[in-house]
Amino acid sequence: MSIVVKDLVHTYGAGTPYESLALDKVNMEVADGEFAGLIGHTGSGKSTLVQHLNGILKPDSGQIFIGDVDITAKGVKLTEIRRKIGLLFQYPEYQLFEETVYKDVAFGPLNLGISEEEAEQRVRDALSTVGLDFGKFAERSPFELSGGQKRKAAIAGVIAMKPEVLILDEPTAGLDPKSQADIFDMMARIRAEERIILILISHNMGDVARVCDKVFVMENGRIVLEGPPSEVFSQGELLKSKGLGLPPAAEMIHMMRESGAELPETPLTVDAAVDIIDEYLLKKHDRSLAH
Amino acid sequence: MIRDITIGQYYPGESWVHKLDPRLKIIVTLVFIVALFLVKDFVGYIVAVAALGIVIGVSKVPLRFMLRGLKAIFIIIIFTFVLNMFMTGGTEMIRLGPIAITYEGLYRAFFMGLRLVLLIIGSSLLTLTTKPVKLTDGMESLLGPFKAIGLPAHELAMMMTIALRFIPTLLEETDKIMKAQMARGADFESGSVFRRAKNMIPILVPLFVSAFRIAQDLAMAMEARCYRGGEGRTKLHELKFKKRDLAAALLTCLFLALIIQEQNIMAALMPTLASLASNLAGAL
Amino acid sequence: MEYNKDYHTISGSRLKFSKKPSKVRFAAHAAMIAAVYVAVTYLIAPLGFGPVQARVAEALTVLPYFTPAAVPGLFVGCLISNMISPYGLVDLICGSLATLIAAICSYGLRRWKWLVPLPPIIVNALIIGPMLAYLTGEHGMFWWFVLSVGIGQVGSCYGLGCLVIITLEKYDWIFE
Repeated sequence: MSIVVKDLVHTYGAGTPYESLALDKVNMEVADGEFAGLIGHTGSGKSTLVQHLNGILKPDSGQIFIGDVDITAKGVKLTEIRRKIGLLFQYPEYQLFEETVYKDVAFGPLNLGISEEEAEQRVRDALSTVGLDFGKFAERSPFELSGGQKRKAAIAGVIAMKPEVLILDEPTAGLDPKSQADIFDMMARIRAEERIILILISHNMGDVARVCDKVFVMENGRIVLEGPPSEVFSQGELLKSKGLGLPPAAEMIHMMRESGAELPETPLTVDAAVDIIDEYLLKKHDRSLAH
Repeated sequence: MIRDITIGQYYPGESWVHKLDPRLKIIVTLVFIVALFLVKDFVGYIVAVAALGIVIGVSKVPLRFMLRGLKAIFIIIIFTFVLNMFMTGGTEMIRLGPIAITYEGLYRAFFMGLRLVLLIIGSSLLTLTTKPVKLTDGMESLLGPFKAIGLPAHELAMMMTIALRFIPTLLEETDKIMKAQMARGADFESGSVFRRAKNMIPILVPLFVSAFRIAQDLAMAMEARCYRGGEGRTKLHELKFKKRDLAAALLTCLFLALIIQEQNIMAALMPTLASLASNLAGAL
Repeated sequence: MEYNKDYHTISGSRLKFSKKPSKVRFAAHAAMIAAVYVAVTYLIAPLGFGPVQARVAEALTVLPYFTPAAVPGLFVGCLISNMISPYGLVDLICGSLATLIAAICSYGLRRWKWLVPLPPIIVNALIIGPMLAYLTGEHGMFWWFVLSVGIGQVGSCYGLGCLVIITLEKYDWIFE
């Protein structure tokens, strides 16, 4: 199942004195099983775009095909869409409301009409995927948890719905480094195990570089650049002009290039960067370096 | 984050009406509403419509924004029309079994409807040309004298100001919460009333938790800055009356006088108007 | 997040913080309730105005059961709601006063949980009803308006209101 977005237009506040164009003819394609990254400056329309994918926002014009279904057509049952597309918002802790973590994680599945028994299984699976121990957390109030734990509980709530597409809007924002790493590992795990489409909105270029198959860059409601991370992140100048950074490794190489070093490739990880710098120094000084 | 929602009806502008002191505007609107209920016949309504029309023109707010308010109370306007049409006694026009439409009823229906329309447009004018913050400042000032009877005007104004400041924040929170729960399958748009009510819980609980957490933080911040309550506090922008406020006040008094004395004025003018009319008729 | 109600006395120093219940916290709570009232009114679209008043925000009129800050809170919320709506000034005065009186009565009844939603129904019927009747002209349908407002209120105040009470009871630590 793939996602195709065609000429999507969305205006905020149409007809009021505060009208503004949020999405300006956006075209996007994500193939089955791909992990897409969506980056862009604040206000570029990333969250807006992604909220169209499960029908929460309706476009002014344009089409969205989830698999074969055009969800912008009339008469499409949105519950069916939401069964397939899981959307995790920014700072999702505020969606926690139940008396216990168990009940909260079960909220999504139960809304989809799943039986209580199967819901329990899903809650168990979801909690283990995010790394929360069922025994310790299931009966606790979500409001008593720490920031990182709340985040994980919220993610579990979306995963438990077993969507075919999982969209994560800045899942690591505001977390401590350990929790960020946990969540990143979780994403990598889901990627490896589930083969569902994943879409990640993030300002953490390092994460995007490491785990995404394809990167989309948005600016002012349009997609201005797309391609595999190695291509996108080699356009250091362009990205900086759009107010974006680079993955730390690529940043380093980019800075070296600016000082005149001739480095043909752009690495996405620190290890790759080390290799590139090694080669370069080898060539330049004709000296052998200890490995 | 771009917000889909703007609260209030404010339409930005630099017109004379926009710049009037909010206290004056509130009072003038009140006077206008009272005057509407003092109108005795159709000439009075003509004066009211004319006055309103002039103010709308000066404010430069497009007419369609004025008419938005009418959409909201469309049902009441219909009710007004229908009720007055059928329930007024007098000379019958049409009879439909037990109920009848009378000439008086039709006349009444039209004017009661008109009165309601003018009332809403007049009120809309106030909210369209005054920023909510200015409105609260104005209200605080006007409620000031009531301190004598124990009304804690300043505390209320403080609550109003804080509430206004946080309404956009809470609107965003509510919006986010609604969307997040919708993404988890909660349905607010269809289904039985009971189902929809139950789906309010996933919104209300997080909303209250958020709201009160913000309140705690805010209270701490205020105490840390030695906020102690009302006495002796000053404002960054004090409300001051200007010359144009005086002019507006005088015009309003004139309007009110016209409405109240309308019948006497008409009686005095009648002979002149009558002769004018017959001269015109003769010339044609 | 914990709010430390007990301030320390630093012995030996001239600084002593008081322990009295905070007026500022009360005001902040009230302001938030007002803001929630307005937010709910605007986003969870009202089911209509007029002869059948059934606004979802009316369910919030049970809040005095949980905290006295709800009394000024609801009043201010209603004031602001009316200030920025096009129905304007008349409802502003009558509606807000009605809300205030109802809130005071509800607070007074807070020991009897199921009576708390009653005042808004009665007060609104008796104040908004006549207001509407007067606005639409003298046509002798006075009691009809009173009745219809009252009935409209029952759904939101009692129906949704009780739901709010039952739900928030489990989370009453929010109002500390």
